[in-house]
Amino acid sequence: MTRQAFMARLREGLAGLPAQTVADIAADYDTHFADGVAAGRSEDDVAAALGDPGRLARELRAEIGLKAWEENRNPSGAAAAVFAVLGLGAIDILILLPVLMGVGGAMFGIAVAVIAVFFAGGVVFAAGPFTGIAGGPGVAILAGIGLMAGAASIGAILTICTIGLVNALVWYGRLHYRLLKPALEPQTVGGIQ
Amino acid sequence: MPEAIEIQLKKGALELCVLALLSQHESYAYEIASRLSESIGMGEGTIYPLMRRLQNDGLVDTHLVESTAGPSRKYYRLTEAGKASFASQKAAWASFSGAVSGILGGVK
Repeated sequence: MTRQAFMARLREGLAGLPAQTVADIAADYDTHFADGVAAGRSEDDVAAALGDPGRLARELRAEIGLKAWEENRNPSGAAAAVFAVLGLGAIDILILLPVLMGVGGAMFGIAVAVIAVFFAGGVVFAAGPFTGIAGGPGVAILAGIGLMAGAASIGAILTICTIGLVNALVWYGRLHYRLLKPALEPQTVGGIQ
Repeated sequence: MPEAIEIQLKKGALELCVLALLSQHESYAYEIASRLSESIGMGEGTIYPLMRRLQNDGLVDTHLVESTAGPSRKYYRLTEAGKASFASQKAAWASFSGAVSGILGGVK
């Protein structure tokens, strides 16, 4: 593979990342080709020693996605981490996917229920005293507060669980990230002389 | 499976080797890659994801050095956290490899 073909496939694999990031990464590998050629190697040689540019791009993307989660513990960071791990495309992660979707769906359902209970509590709190509920206005107000407090605490627990789940996924992804490294496979073709 | 063992060994040692090279003197990726490629047979391309990860973890930082030929070159050097990490990983490696050697030495 020529330097041009390698760089084209690498950029293709990195498409969608911020332009500055792609430029930084491309500059690293471009410099590597320049250094290699300066050391008297052919472009083919350097490209073979670097490994599959598509795979390299996947690992670089994964690292960037996982980093986004570690810097921003918010829903978009979590989404970045989940996509980063899925993007590695390892077989056992794909098998994990249905389980992940089930757990994620259940958590989403609980989150919706928690929000609904919270608002129902608000309605009971505000409107209950005027509906002539058994036990009088005081009971309606306390019941409303109780529902809202319960919903808030379950919501907090759910948030902690979600963060834990994404952290576990990141750990699992990194495990693959290291395993996927072509560096770790014996390579004899076109090593630096 | 000897091959699997070899991969596991390299996987564990790669980061330590990079930190060790950088503890001697700051260096650029091609130099690190060529040293590691000839001595432990790692793929050259993965030095960049690895360096990126070390940088994310705050173990190395980079600066540009003007080059006489061509564009300026990106040099990596250990941060204080990197030096501390290298010292502890080196100690862990020494005690582990010493223990393994001791056991292997006993097996005739």
